[in-house]
Amino acid sequence: MAKLVGVYAASHAPLLARDWHLFDEPLKAQVSAAYRELGARLNAAQADIVVEIAPDHWSNFFIDNLPNVCIGVGATHDGPPEPFLKDFGHPTLAGEPQFAMHLLETALAQGFEPSVSHRLALDHGFCIPLWRMELEPLPPIVPIVINSLEPPMPTIARCVAWGNLLAQAIASYPVDARIAVVASGGLSHSIGEATMGAIDETFDAGCIRAFEAGGEPAIVDFLDRALPLAGNGSHEVRNWVTAHAVAGSRGFELIAYMAIPEVYVGCGWAAWSPAEQPYGP
Amino acid sequence: MKRTDYALSKLFFDLQSAPAAAAYRADRAAVLERYGLEPAVRAAVLADDIAAIAPLVNPYLLRYYCTASGMPEAEFLEKIRG
Repeated sequence: MAKLVGVYAASHAPLLARDWHLFDEPLKAQVSAAYRELGARLNAAQADIVVEIAPDHWSNFFIDNLPNVCIGVGATHDGPPEPFLKDFGHPTLAGEPQFAMHLLETALAQGFEPSVSHRLALDHGFCIPLWRMELEPLPPIVPIVINSLEPPMPTIARCVAWGNLLAQAIASYPVDARIAVVASGGLSHSIGEATMGAIDETFDAGCIRAFEAGGEPAIVDFLDRALPLAGNGSHEVRNWVTAHAVAGSRGFELIAYMAIPEVYVGCGWAAWSPAEQPYGP
Repeated sequence: MKRTDYALSKLFFDLQSAPAAAAYRADRAAVLERYGLEPAVRAAVLADDIAAIAPLVNPYLLRYYCTASGMPEAEFLEKIRG
């Protein structure tokens, strides 16, 4: 049977790639250390498959067809389309169709109806954490897109349900595979709106406290109240909520938090210790 | 409820392509002709009137558009912050 071997979260500010050459050395060192710590843990977990949860930044979907959740079931995904990620070095990334289809079938059996893609373009939301974590070789990726760009978006409670579902799918996967989960995005940021560049450190601290404390009701309650008042990019915290639930909603370990005005983002890095798997096959 | 302008959103979405963005920078009016924008929206785009455009599109698409159109980041920040 498959085993959940690690759950992680990291920010993915695109300027961490586009403007990297402009940053001073101490900032680069701090950011690199945070990503490398997550990468070291993920490497130590010896994951055969990484399920990565990220938004789509208008790379795959437009408002003529905008899923709230999409599972990438393809054997191959396209690398990032953004020119500033040309040095990532992966024009394509391997998928893992067998587990992805198991996840999809588990979802449908449980009353979830995600969209499905047989070939996603994995933009900076997916690729910056993979790149900066220095995962070489990259394990096969099963991408899950959760809409956090264009309202209406999934509720926070629904993201918890998706996390529980993902944990169930991993536990019931009848293959001897080690599976890790990476949530990408957040914490607070504001893009293309009047507050662009503002970092809401109070919101970020509230998120961190809630995730550290563990459980689900406090996080749902906090985000239902605070998220509508935070910058639009903050909605990516949905991916962290999903990861939190995958890990059994145990408190996370904050690896690092930095409000980085240079990239407009309150950046966070965290790891959860997975709970004993509560779901049978 | 926010009003989403489909034609304007489609223009901004399409300009994520580097060749499309280059064509737009070379001849805005010709590209705009193909999208059937409402006259007031077209005028706002030609005037870089970000305050008028912003309520009509997703903020991320707006940010991408300003990059594609060649607007310097500092100018975009000044305009979007009002």
